[in-house]
Amino acid sequence: MIELPRPPFDFSRKRIKIFGLGGAGCNIIDRIALDGSIDGDIVAINTDVQALTGSIAGVKVQIGQTITRGLGAGGDPEIGRTAAEEGIGEILGALVDATIVLLVVGLGGGTGSGAAPVIAEIAREHNAMLIVVATLPFHFEGRRRADQAMASLDALQEKADILLCFENDRMGEAVSPQASIQDAFALSDSNVAQSIRALAKMSSRHGPVHAGFDEVAAVVRSHSARVLFGFGQADGKNRPRAALEAALRNPLLDRGRRFKEAESVFVQIAGGADLALAEVEIVMDELHRHLPEGVRVFFGAAVDPQLTGSISVTLLSAVASDALPATDRVAPPTGHRHSDGAEYEDVAGGVEARDGHEDADVDFVEPELGLELEEESDEPGEEDPRIAATPARAETPAEGARPAAPRPLFGSLRRNLTPAAAPLDAKEAKAEQMQFEPVNRGRFEKSEPTIIDGQDLDVPTFLRRNARLKK
Amino acid sequence: MASNQIVVGLEIGTSKVCAIVGEIKSDGTIKILGVGEAPSRGVRKGEIVDFETAGKCVREALVDAEEKSDVMIGSVYLGVTGSHIGSFNNRGAVAIPEDREEIDEQDFEEVQASAREVSIPPQNTFLHTILQHYYVDGQDGILNPIGMFGRKLEADFHIIHGIGNRIKNSVRCVKELDIEVLDVVFTPLAAAQVVLDQNQKNLGALVVDMGGGTTEYLVYKDGAVKGSGCLGIGGDHITNDLSLGLRIPMARAEKLKLEEGSVITGQSTPGEMVLLRDETGFVGKEVERETLNTIIQLRVRETLELLKREIEPLNCLPYLGAGLLLTGGCSMLNGIDQLAEEIFGIPVRLTHIKTMAGLTSAFENPQLSAGIGLIKFAQAMQPDRPRGVFARLARKLKFFALIVMAMLIAVIFLMHRS
Repeated sequence: MIELPRPPFDFSRKRIKIFGLGGAGCNIIDRIALDGSIDGDIVAINTDVQALTGSIAGVKVQIGQTITRGLGAGGDPEIGRTAAEEGIGEILGALVDATIVLLVVGLGGGTGSGAAPVIAEIAREHNAMLIVVATLPFHFEGRRRADQAMASLDALQEKADILLCFENDRMGEAVSPQASIQDAFALSDSNVAQSIRALAKMSSRHGPVHAGFDEVAAVVRSHSARVLFGFGQADGKNRPRAALEAALRNPLLDRGRRFKEAESVFVQIAGGADLALAEVEIVMDELHRHLPEGVRVFFGAAVDPQLTGSISVTLLSAVASDALPATDRVAPPTGHRHSDGAEYEDVAGGVEARDGHEDADVDFVEPELGLELEEESDEPGEEDPRIAATPARAETPAEGARPAAPRPLFGSLRRNLTPAAAPLDAKEAKAEQMQFEPVNRGRFEKSEPTIIDGQDLDVPTFLRRNARLKK
Repeated sequence: MASNQIVVGLEIGTSKVCAIVGEIKSDGTIKILGVGEAPSRGVRKGEIVDFETAGKCVREALVDAEEKSDVMIGSVYLGVTGSHIGSFNNRGAVAIPEDREEIDEQDFEEVQASAREVSIPPQNTFLHTILQHYYVDGQDGILNPIGMFGRKLEADFHIIHGIGNRIKNSVRCVKELDIEVLDVVFTPLAAAQVVLDQNQKNLGALVVDMGGGTTEYLVYKDGAVKGSGCLGIGGDHITNDLSLGLRIPMARAEKLKLEEGSVITGQSTPGEMVLLRDETGFVGKEVERETLNTIIQLRVRETLELLKREIEPLNCLPYLGAGLLLTGGCSMLNGIDQLAEEIFGIPVRLTHIKTMAGLTSAFENPQLSAGIGLIKFAQAMQPDRPRGVFARLARKLKFFALIVMAMLIAVIFLMHRS
């Protein structure tokens, strides 16, 4: 057999930068930075210097020094916007050689909602492909935050190439009512983090069936769509089924039921060199049982040396926001979660959480992050010089400065990404699996599931319908 | 004319394998000679998942049946089920050749073949093609068109199909025991032969067979099969729900379901407890009756609701004069008839086996409907069976004629001599 050498892929041409904006955004990118599974620069942007210091991102950018004086934006998007405009230089500096910008933001608060559209604008002017991953606030955070989030989302929609929008309300359903608020937010964060990880990896994986950002964009294109996302990874004998099952177990998918309203679904199956066609077939066959007829399926198979021995399944879809039945929403949780998402948006306190409605809860989130910082961050002392140093990067030649072509850029980008070779340093870090309440099928665990309308009927009815039973 | 014939029906169910030995008498009645049963293992949701174990269970059941009936079993009619089995209605049509005016038997086969010319999934095979009605030149409701004049023969068929390999697996499981499989029958079709009489078939009836692993249904209307199907949910699911919901072992859950289970909620006094005794009679755990019944009711209700949804496209639910006939092991659940009545809105009856001779009371068990139905089905398949009263009368007349002839000859002979 003649072996044709694959031309070495020029890594410098593709650079992913992940920007975490505001409290929530920084939390999520911290999570990604922690497991080190992504080879891309991670940049934290915040108005709140305290939160920024706590972040373990490689690059940190403080914006709005003069307006907020190092405090948060106080839940006012106007302040967030002004701060971002003030910090354009710094942001540009951090963004300079990126060809793909992944902006992670929790909408609803001041910094996130206000600054995100500005940064999106900067990224677009910079000719980088812009992927926005946004979370919407919990409904109990109040009308105002929801309105702010929606306004910001509309602005982002116009600018982003791909907009993935997660609803915290939906993610909140995944945790048991007894779980602590820390667990709840951690779960929500790791959910979003996982999707980002999957997106970031998408560009670096190559495989027999390509599926990339263009397909993702096609899936989430419709206006104000809410993302359904699931990721599962499994090894062992029954790995294709187990991986798919884990992916479907994501609360956003509601065990596959959410697909009912979906028009298209993006699937990426990745595995090591030992990924077999039969396994891909199994996953796809099983998946099709959960999908309504006539749904468009964008399918990709990729080989990732990091995954040797296991299979990962990434599912992505979108439904119109009104297609999500309101009745499915969990009632305002009692007890533990009454202290709202304010901390989530601006974790390390800031003006908002302090003078805001809720009180002491800030304290228990903060220590946790501080702890992570001490353990994980290599040189905490050097944070400030780095922040200062970022503008200097603006001088480096702009790699991504290709002929300006706002939309077609998309296509050209894809061409560049297609022959992506394996990541050079195959890190050992394995993507964490989310722990949801296990789907219990009892004696039918190993048998072929009976699935009707996307419901696994082997799971006890009382569990699926959340019937109240006295124990 | 065949005399009494021995037929064996074999059903490999999820909870038990049962082999029923029956004798079809020359007058068309069926006598059950013996029932062999063995608890089933290696079967999930009506389909064999562990070939070897299932084979052993089948052997046990057959040996048991042989012992009880004192019959050597050489061939069986095999019942098959599983959620892979699907059905639809289709119409076949043939044009009668120019040189012939009358419709004859070969047209029957052609029209059946033409009805089968539909696309079913490639791995599926046809299980049954059941005639509903004939149309001759568009004329409706013809029962037997042989000998009629016509240019075009059409017929509606109810076609039942399933995944070929899975059906073959069941057959193979039996064949490995050196026992011939005469025919495979979709079990609700067999069960319906037992629980319905011709009148009910004409009036219209829905037969629901809730077994251990599957729930099957069959709709009869105007004497013909209109719809059939199988849901992969059954009594095992109830047991599983109980086991998970009450945190008790499967065996205990099964026992609890059989002894105390009911689908009626809201009627027990608050705090009424059911005691779970272990083998030695000691009380191990208490379960509130309401909880127990709620779990069962939710599952049964869901299953029946799914079933109703399956049947709704047939648009015949309000016209089923004979109502719903509930059979199978699950039909023994307390109150299930009331629940089904509430959901379907038609009269519901729990079935018992009729039209059987022999030790019927011992076999009046809804768990055996399908097995006994297999024998009825076999009977219906027998071509040389005397058909109805007239045939029997004709046979007697022939006998008479012979005697008269012999007497005549004798008389003539005698007269000749004298």
